[in-house]
This record gives sequence, structure tokens and C-alpha cells, in this order.
Amino acid sequence: MTRYVVATDRAPRAIGPYSQAILLEGWVFCSGQIALVPETGELVAGDVRAQTERALENLAGVLGAAGCGLRDVVRTTVYLADMADFTAMNEIYARYFPERPPARSTIQAAALPRGGRVEIDAIAKVPQ
Amino acid sequence: MRRRAGWIAAALLAAACSSQTPVRRPRVTPAAPTAVGPYCQAIEGAGLLFVSGQIGIDPATGELSSPETRGQVEQALKNVTIILEAAGLTCDDVVKTTVFLVDLEDYAGMNEVYARSFKNAPPARSTVQVAKLPKGARVEIEAIAMMRG
Repeated sequence: MTRYVVATDRAPRAIGPYSQAILLEGWVFCSGQIALVPETGELVAGDVRAQTERALENLAGVLGAAGCGLRDVVRTTVYLADMADFTAMNEIYARYFPERPPARSTIQAAALPRGGRVEIDAIAKVPQ
Repeated sequence: MRRRAGWIAAALLAAACSSQTPVRRPRVTPAAPTAVGPYCQAIEGAGLLFVSGQIGIDPATGELSSPETRGQVEQALKNVTIILEAAGLTCDDVVKTTVFLVDLEDYAGMNEVYARSFKNAPPARSTVQVAKLPKGARVEIEAIAMMRG
């Protein structure tokens, strides 16, 4: 059983003692992504829509490096800084999961790292 | 009467937590804090071990080990480790954690203590600030690990 650390420049570098994702036995466990721009490490400019898009692009980058994609995600957690952003987040989120969307929990957090408005983590299964 | 109902509830919970099936196996150890609600310390299934969120309760006293975040991170991770060990695992087998902080100002301090437990190839992690945690704790850490073999 080999444990692979997934590391890609298509997503922001980890800002703490964690890996972007761990790939093991076909499972991909992805760290929560906030809307940091990979090249700059800064939060993307714009509202929760722009941040949701960036966070999901980051997740897609991590999954791609692990040999799968958003279509292989089985479960996500969406943390919002403000539940009032629920509809706007969903609008963008739905574009990234157009068919058979994964299971999901959404909660409002008191605050997110770097003052982000949304953080999204995911578990995926690499197709056999 | 009330006490008796409590015992019955505890017995039912113990039975629920100890009923073993091939797909879902509870992993419970007296060395880590007992669950403070209707959940198991950990459940094994599909080759994965799902560890319940741990706060910095010292199993010996049933109280938070420290009023400070660092001390609580240390104790919470000790509790996670004890539960992992009861399933034959170590921190090296953890693939994902979620860290709930009551104050993200504690992020750097938490990282410092956290990094001692996860040195090489650290697991994926999500960190968020929450409004409140059980028992007034400052941090809660949950984990998913991969079973060996």
C-alpha cells in the first residue's frame, strides 16, 4: 500500500503542515481549498462566486494530479463564511458538478483561513 | 428511575457500538475519552477508519487538559493517537483531518503542535473557525485513516 502525497502547482501550496491531497488505495483525500490563486498565493479578487470558482479550480487541479477529476468526487464539505452566499455558491458549484453531484454538507463557519468566504474539501475515488 | 433510564440508554448505546458486522466495525478504547454522546470513538469500514472529533479532554480526569489551545491540540492529538493505536494504526496512517478552532488566531500555534504529530507526508486537512465546541474546548480534531493490510 503506497501512500502518495499529491503535489501540484495547479493549486496553491499548502499554508500549513498538510498535503494538498493524499492518494492511497484509489482514494483521494483533498485538503480544504480556499480561493487562493496558485501563482500568487493571494485570495482571488471578487465575491463568493469568484471564490467558489477558484476553490473548485484548485480542487480540480489537485484531483487532476491524482489521476482523476471532479466527476470522481464522492463527497464534499462546503464551509461558507456567510450562509447568505448559499445560492450564489450553488450556482457556480452546479456548473462544476453538472451530473450526479457528490454528497455534500454545507455549514456556515465562524471564519475561514485568510478571510476567505468559502472553503471546499473533497473525497474522490480514482476510476479503476 | 432517571438513573436507571440512563443505564439502559448506556447499555443500548454500548450494544449499538459493539455489534460487529463485516462492513462496519466500531473501534473503542477505554484509554481515550469516552464518547460524550451517541457516537463511537471510531468506526472501521471499507478499509478506512473514521475517528470521531476529539477535543483536549484528559481521559484520566474527564476534563480539558489545559485552558490553552496548544495544550488542547496536544491532548486532542494524543486522544486521536490512542484511538488509532487501538486499531493498530499510527498518525502515519491518517489521510485526512479536519481542525475546528474557536479562533483562527490560534492557527500558527495549532500548526506548531500539530506538525509534531504529522512529520512526513502529512495528511490532507481542512481548518475552519467555528462558533463553539463541546465543553468549551478551543479545538476539535477529527481524522480519517487507512487500515493496514
